[in-house]
Amino acid sequence: MAENTTIARPYAEAVFKLAQEQGDLKGWSDKLQLVSTVIAAPEMAAFIGNPKVSKEQLAQLILDICGNQFDATGKNLVTLLVENGRIGVVAEIFALYELCRAEAEGSVEAEAISAMPLTDDQQKAITAALTRRLGRNVELVCKVDESLLGGAIIRTGDLVIDGSAASRLTQLAKAMLP
Amino acid sequence: MQLNPAEISDLIKSRIKSFEAVTEARTEGTVVSLMDGIARIHGMSDVMSGEMLEFPGNTFGMALNLERDSVGAVILGPYQHIAEGDTVKCTGRILEVPTGPELLGRVVDALGNPIDGKGPINTKCTSPIEKVAPGVLWRKSVDQPMQTGLKAIDAMVPVGRGQRELIIGDRQTGKTAVAIDAIINQKGTGVKCIYVAIGQKASSVANVVRKLEEHGALAHTIIVAATASDSAALQFIAPYAGCTMGEYFRDLGEDALIVYDDLTKQAWAYRQVALLLRRPPGREAYPGDVFYIHSRLLERAARVNVDYVEKATNGAVKGKTGSLTALPIIETQGGDVSAFVPTNVISITDGQIFLETDLFNAGIRPAINAGLSVSRVGGAAQTKIIKKLGGSVRLDLAQYRELAAFAQFASDLDEVTRKQIERGQRVTELMKQKQYSPLSTAEMGFSLFAANQGLLDDVDVKKIVDFEAALHSYINANCVELVKRLNDTADYNDEIAGQMRSAVEKFKSTSTW
Repeated sequence: MAENTTIARPYAEAVFKLAQEQGDLKGWSDKLQLVSTVIAAPEMAAFIGNPKVSKEQLAQLILDICGNQFDATGKNLVTLLVENGRIGVVAEIFALYELCRAEAEGSVEAEAISAMPLTDDQQKAITAALTRRLGRNVELVCKVDESLLGGAIIRTGDLVIDGSAASRLTQLAKAMLP
Repeated sequence: MQLNPAEISDLIKSRIKSFEAVTEARTEGTVVSLMDGIARIHGMSDVMSGEMLEFPGNTFGMALNLERDSVGAVILGPYQHIAEGDTVKCTGRILEVPTGPELLGRVVDALGNPIDGKGPINTKCTSPIEKVAPGVLWRKSVDQPMQTGLKAIDAMVPVGRGQRELIIGDRQTGKTAVAIDAIINQKGTGVKCIYVAIGQKASSVANVVRKLEEHGALAHTIIVAATASDSAALQFIAPYAGCTMGEYFRDLGEDALIVYDDLTKQAWAYRQVALLLRRPPGREAYPGDVFYIHSRLLERAARVNVDYVEKATNGAVKGKTGSLTALPIIETQGGDVSAFVPTNVISITDGQIFLETDLFNAGIRPAINAGLSVSRVGGAAQTKIIKKLGGSVRLDLAQYRELAAFAQFASDLDEVTRKQIERGQRVTELMKQKQYSPLSTAEMGFSLFAANQGLLDDVDVKKIVDFEAALHSYINANCVELVKRLNDTADYNDEIAGQMRSAVEKFKSTSTW
């Protein structure tokens, strides 16, 4: 995974710069998402890395599936990735591209996992607090996980703010049994 | 033992009472790959080098390689229960070990956990294992002796408090024995000792512990053991952990002695960790920073001045200097001191005690090679009596070595040469000393005095050892006042010399050996 990220970084940065020049951050995001979804499909696994399928055929196949949403530059990207044998890391390219995009737009995605569904007020309070802490516009995605018992876990990137009852109980258990 | 239920529920109650669940904000990562005790972790964008990482199952690791997209960490302890995809949490703390006087008399592992079955250790403080050594401003020069109780060392290669003196030699030359004798000799002097066993057999460590206990030296000693079966990561950090425990005493204005047994194995363990972390290998496949792992460790052994102690204790201890003396041990292969690690450590330390297989097999124990052993700073720290009387020992032995080849033509030699050979033989004999029997300053003084003043010249070479033993028991029984004075002040002048001469002469005329 880590190695793939290293491989994907120059591609993602190149695509991002191109998108900035074209002023079409959203469009490129859609394109990358589409390609990564296509690549992730189980049926495609038989074709990627198959020596019987030539690179041209593979590129044509992917472009055919993606339909006519791609302009010349988009097609070139897919051909280049296939040519270099890096079509497999397109998911990482997409993830890194999204990071660059969020950075440029000053926004960040946060995930709030709670034991019970959060009310609108709670969501607003969390969003406001995170915005203050991170200095970015926070897009909150809410999830419910009953195994937390109570409280919530907020995740943004590597940072995890763990205020769940389950983790407190684990802490208590550790404190009792040194 | 009968459990008292009230006691236990009280304990639990107090634990719950003092328990404070905090909402933790920590960065997390996931284990990407795991092999040979090394984990590659994705994420953890703000991890520090040397930071303690929390793996599932109450296991800890240390971040060593911070790369662009991953972190290379060593797992401290067993890692079989960790799997790819597990979450790893940052703790925000550099790896720490417990410190304090509570550790004295205990055997702990490299992380400070007790392994001697004597129950938990209730230490009050912890301290990071990697600390920067005191700077130039905070140091004081070495001027107090750290007596090892071994004649050969205290007379020829004296060690001062705060010095780093390397003990180097092949396997089976008595390196550990020298160090253990030095620890035993600190009994009753207030010097705290730390013995760090790295990559040794658990049975050897158990032997050392038993011997120290038998000689009443365990009470002032901490044993840090990273045995051969512990992971390479633990063997690598054990010396730093021991050093931190020693620094605690140094910073309180006390004196401590630390023995690293041995640093060759630590370098091996580090080589293993570094190669598994895919750091580029250099000479003898050691990584590029193998010099630095030893230099930063040994630099922490130091004599610190009054200001430093006052600053370190926030003014609680005033007017005291502290010291940490290090006796690192290096095992050479086939007497090769020009290998990579031995040359490194020789150049870092303030001198070396060179032990030789040939001498050991010839029955000269401790098997110290007087020609190659040096102490660069210890001379300033010798007690007056040993300095005065021991100075000639080195010279006698050096002259003897030059002439030893002619010893077999004794009858054809001139008077002066024959005298020198005979003196050399007697001094060589006199430097022999049994294990676990360190000498007091007075005993050592009398032995050296006898050799120095030529009082041994009429004693048969084969009888020297017996003569010395008889002399020691005689002076301890009959010259109590003089012995006490010598042990307390270690002074030497004409009056004392006169008393010593008459004591030895009286002994020679009245006793048998």
